[in-house]
Amino acid sequence: MTSGHSVSGATLRGLVALGLLAVPVVTWADEGSSQVLTGEQLPVVEHELANGMRWLVLPRAGAPTVSFIVQFRVGGVNEARGHTGIAHLLEHLLFKGTETLGTRDAAAERALFVRMDALQDSILALERRGDTTAVPLIRERIDSLETQARAHVLPNEFERVLSTNGARGLNATTDYESTTYFVELPANRAELWFLLESDRMANPVFREFYAERDIVAEERRLRVETNPGGLLFEAHMAAAFTTHPYGQPVVGYMSDIQRLRRPDVAEYFRRYYGPSNAVVSVVGDIDSDQILAWAEEYFGGLPPSETPAPVLSREPVQNGERRVEVAFDAEPRVRIGWPIVETTHPDAPALSVLSWLLTGGRTSRLHRRLVLQDRVATAINSSIGPGVRFPGILTIDAAPRFPRTTEDVEAAIYAELDSLQQTLPSEREIQRIRNQLEASEVRRLTSNLGLALQLAGSTSAFGDWRTTFGFTDLLAAVEPEDVRRVARQFLTREHRTVATVVRPDSVAGR
Amino acid sequence: MSLCRPWRPRFAQAISVLWLALPAGLFAQEPTPSALASLEFAPLEFRQPDPERHRVDPGVEVFFVEDHSLPLVSLFARFRGGPSYFSREAQGATTAVPLLLRSGGTLDLSPDSVDQLLEFYAAETSFGGGGPSSFSSVNTLKRHLDEVLEIWRSLLRDPAFDPARVEVWRGQRLGAVRRRSDAPARLAIAKFNNLMFEDHPVGWELRPEDLEPEDLAPEVLRSIHRSIYCWGNLTLGVTGDVTWDEIRPRLERLLDGWPPCDDDLEPPPPPTFSVEPGVYLLPMEIDQSTIIMGKPSDVRLADDEDYYAAQIGNSILGGAGLTSRLARRVRTEEGLAYGVASVWTMPRRSSGIIAATTQTKSESTVEAIHVIAQILGEVASEPPDDAEVRDAIDRIANGFVFNFETPGLIVSRQMIYESQNLPLDWLPRFLVGVQSVTPAAVHEVFRENLAPNGLDDMVILIAGDPARFDPGLEDLGPVRYLDLDEVVPRP
Repeated sequence: MTSGHSVSGATLRGLVALGLLAVPVVTWADEGSSQVLTGEQLPVVEHELANGMRWLVLPRAGAPTVSFIVQFRVGGVNEARGHTGIAHLLEHLLFKGTETLGTRDAAAERALFVRMDALQDSILALERRGDTTAVPLIRERIDSLETQARAHVLPNEFERVLSTNGARGLNATTDYESTTYFVELPANRAELWFLLESDRMANPVFREFYAERDIVAEERRLRVETNPGGLLFEAHMAAAFTTHPYGQPVVGYMSDIQRLRRPDVAEYFRRYYGPSNAVVSVVGDIDSDQILAWAEEYFGGLPPSETPAPVLSREPVQNGERRVEVAFDAEPRVRIGWPIVETTHPDAPALSVLSWLLTGGRTSRLHRRLVLQDRVATAINSSIGPGVRFPGILTIDAAPRFPRTTEDVEAAIYAELDSLQQTLPSEREIQRIRNQLEASEVRRLTSNLGLALQLAGSTSAFGDWRTTFGFTDLLAAVEPEDVRRVARQFLTREHRTVATVVRPDSVAGR
Repeated sequence: MSLCRPWRPRFAQAISVLWLALPAGLFAQEPTPSALASLEFAPLEFRQPDPERHRVDPGVEVFFVEDHSLPLVSLFARFRGGPSYFSREAQGATTAVPLLLRSGGTLDLSPDSVDQLLEFYAAETSFGGGGPSSFSSVNTLKRHLDEVLEIWRSLLRDPAFDPARVEVWRGQRLGAVRRRSDAPARLAIAKFNNLMFEDHPVGWELRPEDLEPEDLAPEVLRSIHRSIYCWGNLTLGVTGDVTWDEIRPRLERLLDGWPPCDDDLEPPPPPTFSVEPGVYLLPMEIDQSTIIMGKPSDVRLADDEDYYAAQIGNSILGGAGLTSRLARRVRTEEGLAYGVASVWTMPRRSSGIIAATTQTKSESTVEAIHVIAQILGEVASEPPDDAEVRDAIDRIANGFVFNFETPGLIVSRQMIYESQNLPLDWLPRFLVGVQSVTPAAVHEVFRENLAPNGLDDMVILIAGDPARFDPGLEDLGPVRYLDLDEVVPRP
């Protein structure tokens, strides 16, 4: 399954995806009639089970399909040094079936798990001693035991059952602050999801562990180690966040991935996948009473869970510009980031509008100047992220237009920022952004899955699905002076972190 | 972890809070497979929405679906004629035209004015072209429909191809050519197409010499625009918060005075496949290899047994996610790759290819090739299980309702059928066709298209670092080296 790195972070567009924005006015069709509703009036049915599991149900006319989201409030920020990638590996392993699904003999499998895991611990002990001569042989024995265990496995049965029932879009994503599982089903087969998902929350079996760990290593090679954009992102985040876990990659460092242990993953699951750490949203052609009855029936019996420890790390104030280079045989590109505030901070709306003003569309400041006018860059974007719950960074990333350099691009960006810090944006620029906000909020409601993601994301991050709608009003209230003020306050030389891709030969030649 | 017993989903809540502390085996809980078997689903009550079909002067076909769920309107335009209808030398210009329609201004609006207006109205547009067709769409809040339609009409009909914007686009495309090796998998796919299709439009990639200023001169762009964007090539689609009576006069205004087509565009000749099977290596110093193994296939998009059997066969082989054979073996069992899939292109009027692709760490490159070859050989040698075929059919049949999730999907699908000269009831025909597929038919279509050992006649392209392959490529026969500098211009 995929891992979302939240590379684009939370620009206005990103905030929409996270459920932070919504429509001020929506025409909502219900049983053939249309009525105009404000965002907060959407007929979302809220329910909390006795074990703390939160449910959001939104019946919606249309094709008889239903979208399911279950989101857990856990991700890369909940990982300790040396264990990066554990949330993401767990996400993969939750597609491996349960005590009774995907197996012919779970007890026989477990007996082999014990032996494999003991061998893995032996490898770790040898590595700590610095004596690794026996490691290849032990790895072969683990492979052999996993092959034996596979004789008891019905591979990918979880996906097979769902897909043969017509499911679409079965997948999951691990982010910095949440892990999200999603699928769509024909509406008449909705109960199937309750059966499978409740079984997965209660009785997961982390089978085929070592092969899946290898798969995640391949995913890292694909997304990061052979990908200059991925390498640049990782280096930039590590430089910008020296203390907060935003500086660690969600996919995990290779040396960590290759040493993750099954018992540690099981303990991580126990700690973070309890019902009180989960939000479910269900959107589609469904009866909310029936959905909530199934919620009680299938999930009500899950035992209450402990509250995970909060993330207390806070990034210290940055004193001075930081620069980092990634030497890779690729065309140059640059990322510039400035520390900002968390999404609920009063300055967050003005920063979002600032990001939009800089790169949101062809008439945005930086696109016009760097791409169209000066032709310094072929593309330029900005984002706010990488999460929403902790202070993040506002990032501008750009690709120079040959033969221009990253230095040329930086200089042009700083010149435009200087202009913005001196001169107020025009009312027309701000109005354009407000118009786009309104339209994009309507468009975000076109799919059941999109709505389900917004409802769950807003609730998981902020405790209330309505926050999604309230944020729109805050954005619409941003004035030109607010934008200039935050540009002056946050986009300063001493606070920025700059990362560039350079060719190895250019480094060697210095 | 103690949550390790069979799960009975419907246990009473009163005991559930204690169950973690209880010894295993105390609950006689229902295993999930038997609970699954006892689930009963009501029939899906659903009337499939058929798009209305209209004709608007001067004779343009329009597909229309009314949808008042949100205050939005979408229009889709599809033109017969795209890059593949033009010569190799014109590829720069044919690629440029759709994108410059959006960015190059119109006869009465400067490029900046177009940008300002479309963004002020918050309209979304798309312009593109590929193979035998070109397309555009626009989506707007209903209250801006008239203003946005007027701009869209000018963009499609009266482009200015402003020289400054042409130069911006030229620089962006040259940059994209330079950055090809930054994405090894995409580069490998492009090179594989080039090997297979050679001097046929499918195999063409933009080269720097296609992007010289004279290749993008205004008269060249205008000539291509005239050839494609005439009403004889056009089909329209409309969905959204409008009635037919509301949209019809607007479409009449849109099409009023639209120029006819001067000549019929000639489709390209069918590809000839003369590439020699064997191993082709694109050396790149990276940690992960991209592997593509494929060969020509003559299965066509048609209402016949071979086509439906190939669709089901591809689903079984590698087209259906984790449950397909390639994913099960290469990914799930061997842990060799994150992504692995098969591709079986079945064009309407010419031959396509059947191929498998994956990315794996350099050291396991040859191992992955052998595993894939073994699976290809297996499907060619033995019919699939009844259960595999049934599962593949169920995926399509039980998920059929998703073909009607949005009005835009319904309308644009009908426009594609129209352009492919398929019957407009192709979707239900397709469903009936795949439901009749048997294991024997799947075996037969694989047998006709793949060798028993999975390797004979295969073109195997590897992009990767041969110094790190373990074992090396020797087992696979002679290796032909491809020159990266010929594929990607270096700085």
